[in-house]
Amino acid sequence: MKQYKNNKLGLVGLGLLIFFLLIAVFAPYIAPYDPHQRFESTEHPNSEHLLGTNHVGQDILSELIYGTRVSLFITLFASIAAVGIGLLIGLVAGYFKRFDFYLMRLTDLFLTIPKLPIIIIIAAFMLPSVWNLVFVFAIFEWAITARIIRSEVLTLRHRNYVDATRLFGAKDSHILAWHIFPYVVPLVFVQLVLVSRYIILAESGLSFIGLGDPTAKSWGMMLHDAFAYPTIFISDLWMWWMLPAGLCIVLTILSFTFIGYALEEIVNPSLKRSPWI
Amino acid sequence: MQTKIITKIVGYIIIIFIIISLNFFLPRMMPAGPLSGLTSSTQPVSEQYIMYIVDLMHGDLGWSTTKNAPVWDVLMRSIKWTLLLVGSSTAIYITLGILLGAVSAWKKGKKTDVGLLILFISLASFPPFFLGMLFIIYFGWRLDIFPRFGAQTLYIDYSTAFGTLLDILHHLFLPALTLTLTSIGVIYLITRNSMLNILDEEYIRTARAKGLGEWYIIRRHALKNAMLPIITLVALIAGLVITGTIFVETVFAYPGVGLLVSDAISAHDYPLLQGAFLFFAFAILAVNFTADRIYELLDPRVKED
Repeated sequence: MKQYKNNKLGLVGLGLLIFFLLIAVFAPYIAPYDPHQRFESTEHPNSEHLLGTNHVGQDILSELIYGTRVSLFITLFASIAAVGIGLLIGLVAGYFKRFDFYLMRLTDLFLTIPKLPIIIIIAAFMLPSVWNLVFVFAIFEWAITARIIRSEVLTLRHRNYVDATRLFGAKDSHILAWHIFPYVVPLVFVQLVLVSRYIILAESGLSFIGLGDPTAKSWGMMLHDAFAYPTIFISDLWMWWMLPAGLCIVLTILSFTFIGYALEEIVNPSLKRSPWI
Repeated sequence: MQTKIITKIVGYIIIIFIIISLNFFLPRMMPAGPLSGLTSSTQPVSEQYIMYIVDLMHGDLGWSTTKNAPVWDVLMRSIKWTLLLVGSSTAIYITLGILLGAVSAWKKGKKTDVGLLILFISLASFPPFFLGMLFIIYFGWRLDIFPRFGAQTLYIDYSTAFGTLLDILHHLFLPALTLTLTSIGVIYLITRNSMLNILDEEYIRTARAKGLGEWYIIRRHALKNAMLPIITLVALIAGLVITGTIFVETVFAYPGVGLLVSDAISAHDYPLLQGAFLFFAFAILAVNFTADRIYELLDPRVKED
């Protein structure tokens, strides 16, 4: 905790993330209108619509605020699910020798598989919905976490205190829960941040090419609408329709990057930190 | 070693099988998949599956409803543009990323290092399609010095080959720049990190003590040893760069396979989408496989294992 407080980048990142999380949670209280409510279409910014309105007359600022909700919801749920699966597989593979070989071949398979094309094709054939996106990301993003957790468990498994606990007759489940799990928690947090960073990038891309949920628009989906509008670049529309949504994505990714950087500095002080992908 | 290679090859075969099967079963399972033209027959699924594999072997990927042509022909027309885009960006981001990463490690903590670090971390936070849009707005519309879409000027007949080449490069510049800038950060960072680790080692200190030039040490001693993690990484992000073309080509209406993907999605042209999916999946697999082999050739430890 104390170490984290001393890390300026980490603090900036955390501040940004909390800012967006607050907007997401309190969206109905902050947004001036319901994002589905329709007014005059493509209005320029004015006192009633601070960021104007879009092609079907929805208030862009309200869309942006509710979009925070959708983007962060998908990102956080999917990364929690993916890291959860990875944690479980990593713990089991690292601790129980008899499962190790098969689980690790499965992990290798998911590491080699061209995941983004597969995610895109599955998303294209499913009905576009927020939960479906969460589902496909969770299925294809757990492998790196599993590998990292497993190698940590391997080094923990034969520490003296673990052997001693086993000698006193402790069950495997007890050892895993009380003597191994607490030591991999920091790694789990690093993975949560890195996976979130990847998922929000991928989610915005998927929504941009038209695979997002049209009833719950994320930031990427807003960019999709804006880009499809014929005169988006010729008129000044892009300034309030495209730029804010794009910058929100960039800032969120940046916040995850900073938090990840700071956490890794604490968990893994040598410079051999993982690159951010 | 022998068993290691065998498990790896078995892994690749399983993945190819998964990709092909996914392509077959998805339209038959998903609620949104229109089955018209895909399951016209009343044959049992097993027979359809065998038929599908046989067709695939013959390069028969079905009929694209929007392009009104065989999917195979549509793909063949587009592949060259995607290869040009990926190839040129990859060449640039690898060379520049490694070079600047080495410079950064060498100048650790100085202005050059910090500046490069901030620049590349920020660039890596831009989704490729967003950066592309900003480039179109600024270089395409404001300054009007680069074309805003396509890979060639339409309806202009250049009499010289040089004129055609210039036109193609002119169109390639912004898409390639977008893809390069959004991919370079990772290579730069891993080079910087592994160089920093290596510059601390004893043999580098020995080389310095011998009075060897700083740049000579970086080039001959440090960079050479930093290459292995870099190669692994190139394979890892190759997938990201190859699929990145989907977004970049969409923004610049660059007529490669990536543009086919977003066109097919918005027009519900599922046979075309599936054909493009096969292209991307196999391209990434091929790059991974090649990088694996190169790694084995370069790293003596892998062989002894």
